[in-house]
Amino acid sequence: MPDTFIERSSGGLSRRQNLRTAGRAYDGVSVEDFVQQLGVHRNSLYKVFGSKRGLYLAALRWHLEHQLPPLAERLAAGADVVDEPGLDLLLLAAVERAPVDVEVAALVSKAWHDLERALQLSPAPTALSAVLGERLRVRAGVRRP
Amino acid sequence: MAQVSINGDDLVVEMEALEKLWAFKSRLVIPLVNVRGATADPGIAHDPKGLRAPGTNVPGVITAGTFHQDGERVFWNVRDRARAVVIALADERYARLVVEVPDPAATVALIEQAIPR
Repeated sequence: MPDTFIERSSGGLSRRQNLRTAGRAYDGVSVEDFVQQLGVHRNSLYKVFGSKRGLYLAALRWHLEHQLPPLAERLAAGADVVDEPGLDLLLLAAVERAPVDVEVAALVSKAWHDLERALQLSPAPTALSAVLGERLRVRAGVRRP
Repeated sequence: MAQVSINGDDLVVEMEALEKLWAFKSRLVIPLVNVRGATADPGIAHDPKGLRAPGTNVPGVITAGTFHQDGERVFWNVRDRARAVVIALADERYARLVVEVPDPAATVALIEQAIPR
């Protein structure tokens, strides 16, 4: 199977998780949703990724490899990213999947580490927990008083 | 309904007594290294299944046996599609097994935790 298929599926999933399915739990997103939203053939999906979890892991890895580094660079430059959905896939992975999936836990842990390092380089160093917490508030529509 | 278990380095899928008749298979033993993953997928029962040989297909009632689709063999044993689990295989006679299990979430967790990734 060509790499472009993997790229299209995992990249597409990663982007859409940010945009459209970001509010839905892993268990709440079905293979049916992937097939319809990504326009990929169900049998191809099983052939390439093996399972929904295989697709999820590929999407998470794609996201961490392609979308997190630019975000980390902006954090290191002092940018405020809490109004953007860039951290949401990672937050959801940490809340939902990391406690029950050791591979997700390892990926989340490495991403935390990279983000922490970026934040230390920032002109106004901030704790990662503060950035993540603030993003959760914004996402929930609750702003700091 | 199939009982899915792990025995040493093998995945074992065992059909219930009567279903052995529909499905023309009583037991499948697959080395775990050839198992690529498992997914609860109720929607798959709506997809075209290809040509059956040998097997039984009464739409809406039972899908059991070997089906040929796009050059692949798929083993089906499903009556209640809400409890269908898809097990993807590599280097096996079947490309996929689609089986009904008592607890799809538990079967998916059992298989996903047992296979090396």
